Amino acid sequence: METDRLEIARLYHRFGFGPRPGEFKAALNTGVAATRAALLTPPVKDISLAAISEPKITDLGPRPDQKTNELIEFNIQLRQQVKELPLWWLDRMVLADHGLTERMTWFWHGHWATAIGKINFAYPMYIQNQSLRKYALGNFNEMANAMLVDGALQFWLDGGDNTAKAPNENLARELMELFVLGVNRYTETDVRELARALTGYQIVRSNGKVTFNSKRYDAGIKTILGSSTSFNGPAAVNHLVSQSDCAKFIVERIWFRFISSQLPVESAAQLEAAFTTRDTSKLIAAITDSTILSNPSYSIVKAPVEWFAGVARYLNLTPSNLKTSAQLLAYLDKLAQVPFSPPNVGGWPTDESWLSSASAQSRIQFAAWLIKQADLSALTAIAPNKRVAWLQDELGILPFSNRTRLALDGVKTNPAQLLQLAICSPEYVVSA
Amino acid sequence: MDTLSRRKFLQLSGAAAVGAAAPLLTMEDIAHAAQSRPLPLGTPILIMVTLYGGNDGLNTVVPYTDPLYFSSRPDISYAADKVLKLDDQLGLNPAMTGIKTMWDQKKVAIVRGVGYPKPDRSHFTSMAIWQSGAPVSRLNSGWLGRWVESQEVDPMLAISLGSVLPPLLAGDKRSGSALPLGGLVIPTGTFAKDCQKLAKAASTDNKLMAAAATSMRTLFSVSNTVTPVLKMPAPVADDLPTVNGGNAGGESNLAQQLDVVAKLIAAGSPTRVWSVSLGGFDTHANEANAQAELLGTVSAALARFASQMKNTSRGKDIVTMVYSEFGRRVKGNASQGTDHGTAGPVFLIGDRVKGGFYGEQPSLSKLINGDLAVTTDFRDIYAAVLEDVLKTPAEKVLTGWKSKGQYF
Repeated sequence: METDRLEIARLYHRFGFGPRPGEFKAALNTGVAATRAALLTPPVKDISLAAISEPKITDLGPRPDQKTNELIEFNIQLRQQVKELPLWWLDRMVLADHGLTERMTWFWHGHWATAIGKINFAYPMYIQNQSLRKYALGNFNEMANAMLVDGALQFWLDGGDNTAKAPNENLARELMELFVLGVNRYTETDVRELARALTGYQIVRSNGKVTFNSKRYDAGIKTILGSSTSFNGPAAVNHLVSQSDCAKFIVERIWFRFISSQLPVESAAQLEAAFTTRDTSKLIAAITDSTILSNPSYSIVKAPVEWFAGVARYLNLTPSNLKTSAQLLAYLDKLAQVPFSPPNVGGWPTDESWLSSASAQSRIQFAAWLIKQADLSALTAIAPNKRVAWLQDELGILPFSNRTRLALDGVKTNPAQLLQLAICSPEYVVSA
Repeated sequence: MDTLSRRKFLQLSGAAAVGAAAPLLTMEDIAHAAQSRPLPLGTPILIMVTLYGGNDGLNTVVPYTDPLYFSSRPDISYAADKVLKLDDQLGLNPAMTGIKTMWDQKKVAIVRGVGYPKPDRSHFTSMAIWQSGAPVSRLNSGWLGRWVESQEVDPMLAISLGSVLPPLLAGDKRSGSALPLGGLVIPTGTFAKDCQKLAKAASTDNKLMAAAATSMRTLFSVSNTVTPVLKMPAPVADDLPTVNGGNAGGESNLAQQLDVVAKLIAAGSPTRVWSVSLGGFDTHANEANAQAELLGTVSAALARFASQMKNTSRGKDIVTMVYSEFGRRVKGNASQGTDHGTAGPVFLIGDRVKGGFYGEQPSLSKLINGDLAVTTDFRDIYAAVLEDVLKTPAEKVLTGWKSKGQYF
């Protein structure tokens, strides 16, 4: 059934990083309900993930003085760690048996968007990534509290500079606007008052350790969103998360990244209700078990990392083993999306922003480079006349349009070119 | 905000739209058009320079005689003997020597206190408002995107440097093109023909799939006309010092973007609007050095660009506009920085510009909640740019806003 195909394709491509060979066809046989149930039940142990060793990322300590020999060694290690971190995560996205946890971690990375460019050290970013994974499908209030004392986020938003003497509003503003409530759901006074509540934190830059210094903390009464008390950081975060606007906002963000950049949110009230306890897994369950998933109007463009991970999963490629992995990061950079380097605190853009003529060019080159390193024997074994239909099922997408079918027919005897066009086609670049 | 980030704020609303109804052009049509009808000499060209992050206006155009300026931000104020004096009250940031030289040549208009009603202090919302040019109706399209839609179809008409199109150039149905710094390398031979088959519209396409097909189509049309030009050398700037620093110290990304623009303009590209940008202005902490470095980059890059263009037949036709999504709070914070504020100065630069000050300098004694009052609506500037530079009635693009002239 066409609707089943659409729902299963969306479950794979939006709530995971796409099917591995044969998975989509098998899912068509087991049906939507079984596919959804499997997606929503992470295994106790993901065998493929367990086989990936943790990255060699350590606390390098403070930067040595200029012109010392230690500085050279330090810089070499730092560069190595900064490169290893995104490759480690890309490996997890591509190799995971069960897609949802990594996909949710990816979502939260774009939500609490922190960039390594300012943090400089890989270690605090690695710690943040582990926190995001820990709470990826867990309780949002616990996640928000963990982020409050996350060294990378605190440093990113100048938290260590926020003191009782003269507050720095950066963290407070983004906490309200981009992380918990959404724009226009607070006043400028709320921002200033929240900044006072968030004073007192200090950060060790190289390891992200956050400590509280009561001498720098403003212990006075603050009025935030109508409540007046001597809010400290955790109390203020709990207060924000308890607002009904928090449910509204998180539902909007999930909608924006998983369903559509177009508003309004369908069935918003039901989705907000599912998030009453701030349990993210319940919200994901609600959104995947609704008519939203089968509504054909909600298409979304795959962001470059999502597109790459989907292709690599299908091609059985391991990102860190690609020749070379530096080239891989360069391609992703050309497409303007490298994990751990969001462009700003609002995270990455969406939809048409990924569809410039420049991106089209990079995608075509990137696709050729990946296909060259892949084993295409399964595709080659299929008779040329059956390859296009076979690919639709392997890639897990809706049927190709007549336009794309015509283009693919022209290269059906050349498996590499056929695949290159297929993964650059509008039907693959866009999740229908 | 990463103070070094150069990438753009494109958070908002799927703003960069390429509509499904875009007419289908063949690459031959466009290649032929670009070669057979270079931009007529004397056609004004607009360069938009977007400073992302919220540039601190008070430390850009410094009120160096106002005691309130010094008492509000003792850690990060510029002393009177440091600023580049423009008159007996205002001076430029010491790093902006290039722009000061052009000011002395009466080629720089500084519009003071620019903003819009009900200022918003969110980077994303405020930049969306500036780029949409619609502070009241909050349109999803950019004001120059709507201008593109008011013109004959031509993918070369408005070009943004970098691989992601800013909302500024996004229309509802048609948009400007994006050009990566390295230029476009396209497939060739029979495989190119197969790629172009993918670029056709399909009746079953939804809006995003149509946009994906369009992006492939523009790739072939823009790259065929642009790539040969990019291989040419940049116009020479023969009046800039080449020793003792000046041009040394490595290219900044803004300078690279402007270099590409200079080449394409010199080659006669039928492009009337260019968009370039620099990020990193969100100076919540340790502002003085960071902002001076960035302003120095902007000033030097624009001076170099003007100097390059002076040796071409297009030098007199170029108007550059520099803006940011908001200024910063008057009072410094504890981290030698400033938090998000409201109004800021806008620069218009070029031979066609009537140099001097415009708009009222916001008073430091009449702050609104600690922020500068907006004294000039940005739509006044946009309207004048539309009428006098782009020769297009402003009212349609700016939902009824009329030009009051001045500036040009």
